[in-house]
Amino acid sequence: MAVTATRASRETLRKLPTTVRPIVDPADIETPEGYEVAPVMVGLSFPCGMGFADDGSLFILEGGSTWPTRPYMPARVLRFDTGSGDVEQIDVEVLGGPRGVAYRDGAIYVTVKGGYHAHVDRYDLKTKERTIVVDGLPSGGWHEPSDPVFGPDGLMYFANGSVSQNGVCLPQGFTVDLAKHPEAHDVPGRDVALTGNNVWSRDPRKPFPFLIETGPFKPFGERAEKGEVIRGELKCSGGLWRCHPDGSGLELLAWGLRNPYGLAFSEEGELFASDNDYEEKGERAIAEDPDRIWRIRNAKNPHGSVTAPDWYGFPDLRGDGEPVWNEASQPRKGNPAEPLIADPPPWAGPAAFLEEPHTCLCHMEFCRSDAFGHRGSLFLAQFGTYAPLNTPDPAALNRGFRVKRVDLATGHSEPFLRNKRPGPASHHPGSGGLERPLDCKFHHDGRSLYVLDFGVTVVAPTHVVAYARTGVLWRVTRL
Amino acid sequence: MSDPTTNDVILLELDDATWSAQLDRAAAWLNNTIMTQEKFRKFAADVASEIREPHVKAYLEDVAKRAEDHEKLARDLIQAIGREPTPGRSAAGAVLAKGAELVADVVGLAGGARGDWKDLRQLLLAGQDALGAFAIVEQLGYALGMPELAEPAFRAQGEKMRDQLLIQEFMLEMGPMAILLREEI
Repeated sequence: MAVTATRASRETLRKLPTTVRPIVDPADIETPEGYEVAPVMVGLSFPCGMGFADDGSLFILEGGSTWPTRPYMPARVLRFDTGSGDVEQIDVEVLGGPRGVAYRDGAIYVTVKGGYHAHVDRYDLKTKERTIVVDGLPSGGWHEPSDPVFGPDGLMYFANGSVSQNGVCLPQGFTVDLAKHPEAHDVPGRDVALTGNNVWSRDPRKPFPFLIETGPFKPFGERAEKGEVIRGELKCSGGLWRCHPDGSGLELLAWGLRNPYGLAFSEEGELFASDNDYEEKGERAIAEDPDRIWRIRNAKNPHGSVTAPDWYGFPDLRGDGEPVWNEASQPRKGNPAEPLIADPPPWAGPAAFLEEPHTCLCHMEFCRSDAFGHRGSLFLAQFGTYAPLNTPDPAALNRGFRVKRVDLATGHSEPFLRNKRPGPASHHPGSGGLERPLDCKFHHDGRSLYVLDFGVTVVAPTHVVAYARTGVLWRVTRL
Repeated sequence: MSDPTTNDVILLELDDATWSAQLDRAAAWLNNTIMTQEKFRKFAADVASEIREPHVKAYLEDVAKRAEDHEKLARDLIQAIGREPTPGRSAAGAVLAKGAELVADVVGLAGGARGDWKDLRQLLLAGQDALGAFAIVEQLGYALGMPELAEPAFRAQGEKMRDQLLIQEFMLEMGPMAILLREEI
């Protein structure tokens, strides 16, 4: 399918045909002094990630089946020439959709969610050949594969989030992928013994809402027994790996990560992963879990030397190390959690950075350019809250919807790009600012930061919906 | 690319020609929805008129009344996207309703069922078809970035799902009586 890309004046952006986002206007966005923001591309459908090639080409991924999973729009891998403005389609993923992309030596590596297993694909840009280099990552449920990133050692690092939302596959999963993948379940990164605690819920698969019991690391509707041992797997859920670019030498570095969507290497060669908090709703609801960035310690160890992956807490600890059943985690919406793992491994925390709950940390990148300024800072896209669905806390309603600049050494952080009025633009009729930033990547010229905006997502206390063709690519330039 | 001197921006599939074609295709589905919904509405009214049990009769009359509202909604939604309903869909819907009743007769008799229960069963199938049509309208609204399509269709779906559960419940309850005892409802 050819891409129909046309050039339009800024005036056109004041009356777009997508009535849910009729205006795109950088004047409604606040930037730091000395920087300006401009729209580059409008009309993307559920864009999930992007990455630059050495020649300045920008690869943009339209996510296909995203959040929620309907509707599916063509999950295109697009190549955008930032010089000429040309846009071409590299490929279309017909099941699920691509989530993160990285360029290396004439090829792009794309993480893809879809079916029971997430995978990493390599596209040769010359021959257009596509090869699956890593397959079999447990998926089919809630969370996503991450960016692939290449480390200073030349290895490819990537992560994959949990299948369950909060530790047990439950009916809310059927609003996402479980209706298509009813046998999907979490898999631990090492052997674990279970407490035998299960979760009762209604069963959406039955003609009538009968009750059913489900345990951790089980498909929906299967209970766990006390003392039952679940075998750990190399290809687990909630894990982070590295391998050679051809997929060989796969090594598990970490597990117990809930939704490690963004990965980034600092100039010092340290690997960091963004990760998102538990939700305060449903039959295993957890409150006040901070969003976080983890330092992946094992990435500093030589390839092939990691015999025990670090555990980052999912499904029994919050991002701040608190047990999910303690007083501070008791939910205001939904049922409280009980412990699931009887013999938890040592926790690999504390986190390198904690953010307020329900901010939704996504892709990120360290600035390596003096020309842009803030060299060494981590630029972090924050998709924005799903309150009041994921928490009834009114304080969470406007969290996120920005790009934040984080100094991991000092812990200082501040908004870098956000709307002049709180929340997404769609909360303020007539506004044309940001909706949901989910990726930010620096152009190789070192002078500009591109920000990928997912588009309009409307959240109610009962459900969430998203609108296609409302995604925007922005560019922030230092003046 | 966005050129600071001309302020150009790249539009993906938002140009007038592409957009107009997309709306034409959405309108074609909405016309199909009108026809499907009318078939269901007429069938529901016919079944309600045949049922003798007063509670079931009253519930089905309510279903038929809501079906009228949903049929009007489908027509309004086409106009909301700047298109008009295709003439002739009404007649087609009525024909389909009669066809469904004939199918009910054949299927029911083959299974040994007698009376108006078999129409109730066929009504469930027609309702599923109409529900599905509106469900797709909702998805079209999300795909086009148009809440004026998605939101009314979402609400209609909720009402139609409730009606489906009601029809299903009575179909299941009365099934053994209709098949084993050959009793009318």
